[in-house]
Amino acid sequence: MKAKPQRLRTFYLSLFFVLLYIPVLAVILYSFNQSPSTAQWTGFTLDWYRQLFRDRVIAEVFKISIVVAISTSILSALLGTAAAITTLQVTEGMEKKINTVMLLPLLVPEVALGVSLLLFFSALKLPFGYLTLILSHTLFCTPYVYIMVQLRLKEIDISVIEAAKDLGAGRWQIIKTIILPLVAPSILTASLLAVAISLDDVVISTYMAGPTSTTLPVHIFSMMRVGVTPKVNALCTLILVGTFFIIGFSQFISKKSKQREEFN
Amino acid sequence: MFNLKKIKQNAPAVPILVWTGILVGIPLIYVVVLSFLSRDSLGNIVFEFTWENYKRIFDPVYLKVFYNSFLLAVLTGLITLLIGYPVAYFTANLEANRRSLAMGLIILPFWISSLLRVYGWIILLGNNGLINSLLLKFKIIDKPLTMMYNFGTVLVGTAYMLIPFMIVALYNSIDKLDRSLLEASYDLGASKWKTFFKITLPLTMPGIAGGFTLVFIPALGLFFISDLLGGGKNIFLGNLINAQIKGRNRPLAAAFSVGMIILVLLVLYIYTRITKNKKEGLFL
Amino acid sequence: MISTKIKKILVLTFCAVFFVFAFVGCGGKDNGNKQINLMTWGGDFIPREIINQFEEETGIKVNYKEVTSNEEMQSLLEANPDQYDLAVVTDYMVDILRQNGYLEKLDKGKIPNFANINPVYQGNYYDENDEYSIPYAVSISFLLVNPEGVAALGADPITSYKDLWQEELKDSIVLIDWSVEVIGLVLKSLGYEYNETDPVKVAEAKEKLFELKDNIVRFETNTPEDSLISGEAVAGFMYSNQAVKGQAADPKLQPVFPEEGMPIYIDCFVMSKDAPNKDNAYQFLNFLLEPEISAKISELTNFSNANKAAEEFLPEDFKNNPMLNFPDEVIKNTSFYIGVAEVYEEYEHIYSEFKMQF
Repeated sequence: MKAKPQRLRTFYLSLFFVLLYIPVLAVILYSFNQSPSTAQWTGFTLDWYRQLFRDRVIAEVFKISIVVAISTSILSALLGTAAAITTLQVTEGMEKKINTVMLLPLLVPEVALGVSLLLFFSALKLPFGYLTLILSHTLFCTPYVYIMVQLRLKEIDISVIEAAKDLGAGRWQIIKTIILPLVAPSILTASLLAVAISLDDVVISTYMAGPTSTTLPVHIFSMMRVGVTPKVNALCTLILVGTFFIIGFSQFISKKSKQREEFN
Repeated sequence: MFNLKKIKQNAPAVPILVWTGILVGIPLIYVVVLSFLSRDSLGNIVFEFTWENYKRIFDPVYLKVFYNSFLLAVLTGLITLLIGYPVAYFTANLEANRRSLAMGLIILPFWISSLLRVYGWIILLGNNGLINSLLLKFKIIDKPLTMMYNFGTVLVGTAYMLIPFMIVALYNSIDKLDRSLLEASYDLGASKWKTFFKITLPLTMPGIAGGFTLVFIPALGLFFISDLLGGGKNIFLGNLINAQIKGRNRPLAAAFSVGMIILVLLVLYIYTRITKNKKEGLFL
Repeated sequence: MISTKIKKILVLTFCAVFFVFAFVGCGGKDNGNKQINLMTWGGDFIPREIINQFEEETGIKVNYKEVTSNEEMQSLLEANPDQYDLAVVTDYMVDILRQNGYLEKLDKGKIPNFANINPVYQGNYYDENDEYSIPYAVSISFLLVNPEGVAALGADPITSYKDLWQEELKDSIVLIDWSVEVIGLVLKSLGYEYNETDPVKVAEAKEKLFELKDNIVRFETNTPEDSLISGEAVAGFMYSNQAVKGQAADPKLQPVFPEEGMPIYIDCFVMSKDAPNKDNAYQFLNFLLEPEISAKISELTNFSNANKAAEEFLPEDFKNNPMLNFPDEVIKNTSFYIGVAEVYEEYEHIYSEFKMQF
């Protein structure tokens, strides 16, 4: 009785993951292509990896991007979660206002955001670099966290909170023991998304990076004039492989605590 | 009249409103103001009020582009929803320790450059791409199939680019479902499908709305996917805006952007009107 | 009472923000005066090899900010003219920046190697008296053709733009994706000039453009040569550096320099008026104009060289390649896109209408 839906589930998820990863595998495959063009396969080589390890520029921009992506992800997780939790308390009118404001970063065209932030931060005399990059990335990543956390907070059982209050629980205690455990998974997934968004932003980063800093996506897109080489494929392959290892490792670490949770 | 209690109640929301409001409000005002200005032959902004930019975009050709973009965005939303809902649903039903692993694996491919992911599709679908090479090798076809450079490939590319937002939104909505409700439904003799349509689907409407919003809006503005996978033969709003920026006609680009923003607001407004249920409408 | 805990969260958040502020605030230290801030396209547009050599020889650090377009460089330079020393921009942008007053008049006394520059590339519309710019990379657009492919389709050999209209070339042409370029090509095929404003001639060009529709397989600005390499197209209108890459991947691809005329682009070094490290920047410019260095750059970037003295240092196959070392009669037959702003809205509209036909 139970086996059938599970088989459907396994089949569907496997099919989805295959489709999801096929283009990525193509990217990986072409990091071993002799020809610099994706239009032809001329033979296997490890040259692009050799070039990658010799390239100090790509190492530098990669470092900048990782620092920006991780800081952005942490900051937007904090801000987005705080904003979402705030909506539990405010009036309905205020909640709508927050919802609208949170939607704005998605609506404004990237170039407009980039150019006006450039002028704004120049007027404030902020140093362009990590600071401006992280501020601007946090700006457009926060809404994603907010929306994802909101989705879990919706229809939260208010009576539970009321009961906790009656039992004398403070605000912070309620947040810590009831709300945060509930929204933790969405904070996690949204942070991972924030990393993806930050690692993929070209337009705003071009304006926000200082004279001495360039991010990885800007580096890649700015190569288009002269030609993007499979060196970039090689880098992305390494990023993927590295992340797989980290995921596998953390999975291994968290397995036991998760299992304990299952029993409760 | 000041309502002290209300002010106190709303106070915590102020920092987030100020932070996002200022940093995004300024660009938004900038775009709107810019759309009423003109430019000189060097592309510098001239501070003179004009309706000219809006007159330009109310043109059959450009309205058709608006329509095409709208179509692309809606279809992208629907496709990602249809593919993504079962993914989110099944993932939410996995064992607890597998769930976050699955979500991680879904988001992971999006950590690599979007440009490369698009090239990945070209490698697959191109005339001498992997699929054609395989089919030719096994003599299933005798000359390469043309799969690239049309609306369909743009749609596939856009959906691929945006599907994680849909899945994550749906997952967050499905995962928190009260499973006892479903059990109760089964106990009362309802079939799986009936339970799904009567309970699961309505309860996950906020997730659908949220995911749709997060997919629909970016889909309207993307341009390099149609350049690369559409062979530049299909143009969308993002392409028009981009071309005007390249020609340093920023006021016209701003007018197109304002048109795009209005289109989004219109869709969100209609959506809230249709559902009429405050809990389901995410915005406005 | 209600909001004290929320306040706590906010305080924590702001602590985190300020932590980041503090942590990055001290990151932007300059290493004295021994540096230059340079901004232009990335990849190897200015080869790192060359930059490394300069840094080793002079001890001046070159900060290379990568951008993706001329328009971005304009915004960045105009917002913070005191943060950038040098930029490489395309001809029309030199004109704009110069007229807007953001460029420094170059002190030729500090660039003795300026004398090496080929007079053919001097005195152009964007800088008539060569006061503000130094040509760095020259490229033109022309047709790259696969003669075997053309013959296989049963079409006549392609020698000019006109031949692109042959019915046999259905779905076999790739073009740079920009209204001004595509309509420019059509205007030239009709014997007119670029950026024509005469409505009658423009209408004629529009009609002619629409007739080309069935032959176009794809519009592509960044890798049009891929379409010829993969065989999905037999002819393409592209920039010279792309054509060079195309031929390197597939030797049977041949350049065709249409007799009707071709566009030319010159990317030039310019100096910001408020450049913080002017002397270092002059040193860098002079270094790049050394004949040997200049030759090396051309070899690495596939852009033609504006440095007359560099010619003797160019490898034979570079000198003999008409796509890299343009023959005089080809150069004479090229022109710039001037006055784009005047025609842009009209051309974009035609181009959009054209694309809606697909």
